[in-house]
Parts: sequence; C-alpha cells; structure tokens
Amino acid sequence: MNTKIRDMIVTNAAAIIAGLLLSGLMLLLLHINPVEVFVYSIHTMFTDKYTMGEVFLKATPLIFTALAFAFTFKANLFNIGAQGQFYMGSIAAIALSLRLDGKVPTAVLLILVCLTAALSGGLMGALIGFLKARYKANEFLVSMMSTYVALAVMNYLLRTFLKESKGEYPQTDALTRAAWLPVMVKGTRLHIGFVLAVLSAVGIWILLYKTPLGYRIRAVGSNASAARMSGIASNKIFVTAFFISGALAGAAGFTEVNGVQHMLIQDFNSGVGSAGLGIAILANANPIGIIFASILFGALGVMGNLMGRMPGVNVPASIVDLMQGFVMLFVIISYFFRHYLENRREKRRLQKGA
Amino acid sequence: MIISLLKRALMMSTPLLFGSIAEVIAERSGMMVTAIEGIFLMGAWGGFVGTYLTGSAFIGILAAILSGLVAAAVYGVVCIYLKQHQVVTGTAINVLAAGICTYLQRVLFGVPTAPLKISPLPEIAIPLLSKIPVMGPVFFQQNILTYVVYLLIPAAYFLLFKTSFGLTIRSTGENPEAVDVAGINVNAVRFFTVLLAGVMGGIAGAFYSVGYLGMFTTNIIGGRGWIAFAICFLGNWNPKGAVAGTVVFGLTEAIAIYMQSVGGGSYFPNELFIAMPYLLTIILTVSRRNFNVPAKLGVAYSKEN
Repeated sequence: MNTKIRDMIVTNAAAIIAGLLLSGLMLLLLHINPVEVFVYSIHTMFTDKYTMGEVFLKATPLIFTALAFAFTFKANLFNIGAQGQFYMGSIAAIALSLRLDGKVPTAVLLILVCLTAALSGGLMGALIGFLKARYKANEFLVSMMSTYVALAVMNYLLRTFLKESKGEYPQTDALTRAAWLPVMVKGTRLHIGFVLAVLSAVGIWILLYKTPLGYRIRAVGSNASAARMSGIASNKIFVTAFFISGALAGAAGFTEVNGVQHMLIQDFNSGVGSAGLGIAILANANPIGIIFASILFGALGVMGNLMGRMPGVNVPASIVDLMQGFVMLFVIISYFFRHYLENRREKRRLQKGA
Repeated sequence: MIISLLKRALMMSTPLLFGSIAEVIAERSGMMVTAIEGIFLMGAWGGFVGTYLTGSAFIGILAAILSGLVAAAVYGVVCIYLKQHQVVTGTAINVLAAGICTYLQRVLFGVPTAPLKISPLPEIAIPLLSKIPVMGPVFFQQNILTYVVYLLIPAAYFLLFKTSFGLTIRSTGENPEAVDVAGINVNAVRFFTVLLAGVMGGIAGAFYSVGYLGMFTTNIIGGRGWIAFAICFLGNWNPKGAVAGTVVFGLTEAIAIYMQSVGGGSYFPNELFIAMPYLLTIILTVSRRNFNVPAKLGVAYSKEN
C-alpha cells in the first residue's frame, strides 16, 4: 500500500513537472525566458495573499465538475456534459438570485439558490441517465451533445428574458451584495463556496465508499452483469448516479454566479467541464484526490494569468491551455509507468517467494 | 433559393463526411477516436498556416494532413501501445490541441491588427455536369474537397466490406483475439486506422479554414468534430449510414446559417437552429434501435501471455 502511494506521488509529480517543462520550452519560441517567468509567477503566487486566494477560488468550480465526472465514472458511465449542467446550474442560480435579491435574508437566499442550481443541473443529468436506462441511448454521446444544447438555451435566455435592464449586451443584471457568497479571507476574493466544494468532495467520498448506494454504484461500474445477477437494478443506478453528478456540476454554477461573477455573461468559464475531466483523471477519480488536483489546476490557471500580466514580457493567455493540456497528457502516460512499476514489483515479490 | 440552400448543405456536409467516415473506419477496428475535435482543429490550423505562408492551398492541405496526423499519432500511441483510456486521452488531446494551435498562431503571427485572410478554395464547375438543372449547381459546382468526398464514400465502403483488409479491420473491433491468432498484429491495424482518421480529420479541419472561411480562429471547429463522431454512431458504423446522417446535419446547418443571414432570428430563436444538430443527435440516438456496436469498441488489446 505504501509503495503504491509513493509510486502515485512520484509518477504524478514527474508528470506535472514534465508538463510544465514542456510548456516552458514552448515559451522559448516567443523568445521568453521560461525560468524568469516561472520563478516570477510562482513567487508571486506564494507571497501575495490575494493571488493565493485566487488559486482556491479557481479550484472551487473545478472540484465540483471533477466530482461530477468521477461520480459517474465509478459506475462506468461517462458524463462528458458537466459543462452543460454547469450552465444549467448557473442559469437557475442567476434567475432565482435576481428574483430574490433584496427580498429575503442572504442566508436563506443562498441556501435556496444553491439547492435550485444543484436541482436543475441534477435534472439535466438525470435526463441523460433516464435516456440511457430507458432507451439504451449512448450516455457519452447524449451528455456531450447536451452541453451545446444548454449553451444555446443560455444564449437564448441572455438575449431575451434574462437580458440586462440596460438592454445593451447579452448578459444579466449584476447581483447586489446581499446575494453574494460571503468572502472567507479578507483581502481576497475567496468565498465560502470553496468550503462547500471541499465538504462535497468529502461527502461524495463517504457516499461512494461507506454507503449501500455507493457500493451499488461501484458494483455496477466494476461488473455490470455481476451486479445485475446480485439484484442491483442498474437502470435506477444510471438515473441516480447521473442526477448526483449533474447536481454537483450545477452547484459549480451556483458558486461561480453568486461567488465570483455576480452576473451571467455569455460563454463564461467555457473550459470548466473539460478541466474537471482532466482533474478527475489526475486524481484517479478519488474524491479526496480531486481536492488537491483541483488546487493544482487552479494554480496553473493563476500562474498563466500572472505570466500574462508580468511586466516587460508578453506571455499569451493560451499558455494556460498549454500547461493544462500537457499536464493532463503526461499524467495519463504516467499511469502506464505506474502500472509497469507495480507489475515489476509484483513479479519480483513472486520470484522471491518461489 | 432552394438551390443555394441545398448547395450550402452539401458544402457543410463535406467535412462532416470526412470526419465521420474516418471515425467509422477507426471504430470498426475498436478505436473510438475521441480526439477527433482536436484533430479537426489541428487540421484547420495547419491548413491555414500552410496556405498563408506558401500561398498554395495544396501545400496548406498537406500541412493540415500532417497536423492531423501528429494529433492522431499521439492519441494512437497513448491509447493503443500504452493502453490508456480512449475517452480520457481524447479529452486531454482536445485541450492540448486548442492550446497548441492558439499558442503557435501567436508565435507565428503575433497579435495582428486585422484578421489574417487567405482566399478560400474556389468553386470548380465540372463541364457539362454542372449544366444539369438543379442537380448541376448543387452537386457539380463545389470545391475540390467535396469532389474528393464523392470518391471517398464508395472507396471507404469498398475498403471495409469488399477487401480482406476491411475484414481484418472489422474483425479487430469484434474479436481481436481471433485476429491475433491469425498472425495479424492487432495493434498495428488499430494504429493504422487511427492514422487514417488523422489524415481524413486533418483534411476535414482544413475545409473550415482553407475551404470555406479563409481564416483561422480558436473556435473555428466549435464541436463539429463531435458531430462527426456522433454521425458515426447514428450511421451504425457504416459509410452508407454516415452519408444519411450527414445529409440531415448539413441541411440543418445550412438552414441555421440562412436564417441568420436573412434575419429570421427575430421570428424564431436563432439558437434553436444552432442547437438543432445537437438536439437531432440526441433524438436520433434515443430513437434508433439495434446498433451494431463493434464489440471491443474502446477496449485496449493486451496479448495473453
């Protein structure tokens, strides 16, 4: 067990460093000194309180979307549509917040909005699960396509019912402070949504590993026919797992709308779904691992922004995608090496035994 | 008006056919090429850069093929030889492709004040055939890539169902053990189909930048790779089905563009037309029964020791 954890840390760390190294080399193409840029951004990140807060702030929605992917993944289902469920949650959050803003106490508003956002994301997820259960529709395909439908719905609403009262841009009115998620650390933008995200991760871990439902989900995931033989209704599991998954992604919409944006704009956070997927892989779909992996991805995003703002050099914003892409790819490759190391150790052990 | 609509529909179908037929061949061998969106994007970028720098669309398309091949090769090595998850690897490559294209675009061209343009592929009117009423202008006044598609469809069908290599490809997706026992290298067959998907996906991507828009933007593909992926499913892993599926999509996309251009958006929500292909995919996936899913689709092959 110990060697396994050590392998995991070593291979993951190697993969992350390799990803950053390669992104750094790409900077050479723009005649930018990568060492200088990386030192600057890492140093600023660790010394500036506001920037440090940004890391956790960026990690918050990622924890949710990564959990969303990981949760269905445990049932061997693919929810690639977290982005769409995130948009659904965001729409619900902004619509309800605008309606309740100033009319009810903040605490009541936030609880209601959170539940509604999670519910709307969850319903969209459950619909995918239902199509899978009832019509044997390919959930991968349906969830993938559902994101584009959700995006169209959001764009339509932003152009019509939710359009700002000034009527200039396709975006909503801004929320007043009464509807904002309270800030956790003074001098940063870090709001209590982060705590909610961490608690959700812990909750999902308990749900998956300590409850009968979690057991059934994992049973369907590891061997669907064996699970069926032992009387587990896999169709129900499809719907339930997708509902919970969608609700998690919807909750991310809530924390982003009420915690960060305080309004809804077109195409916002368009990479949160695929980044969540990458994070879930990085953490091997382990809910606790997801917390740390999300913080890492948050840090990559913040580092990218810092580099872009670094005085004197001109680092393009696409460096963030580049770093995240390389890190994801190398982590996937590192799984191969970890597996290889494990096999070799096992062989040695067996040889010693013989 | 109907003629120009149909013509546009066929035009918009071209890249989708390239992509979905590539996907059909690869998935028949068991490889779900989930990196298709990234392959499209790399192709679009490579095609633009090649054409812009040399002034030759031919070289541009070669560059697109090369870029698509690179993305497909990375995908193939990680999924086939390192046996990692196909969906997961595809997602990583899609993110990476977006990063690399945008980044290299910046490296090559800086931040231009005006958008960089190339002249899109010209329409070539085929003598005589283009004179046929209705059919002529729709089918025989298109750019070269559309004509290539006419040849590609029967060629793909012939390859898959009439040649022994096609049988090998199909068996590799159904029963790789049997293929292995017959002394054929399963992984090599799969890698070949993935590379083929890279070539065809690269051309498909180039269609958007070189063939149609004459420019490159980061969101130029906008999920159309996934549509090609979906058409492969809907077409039941058959080139003929892919054609049927693509016609539907090409038509909706042409209508969406038409509605936008005539300002139909004030009567109908434009977004409905934009979402239509995606909605259709969902509806068709749900309504369609009896899929012939290749049995080992998405499953890496390991030799028993």
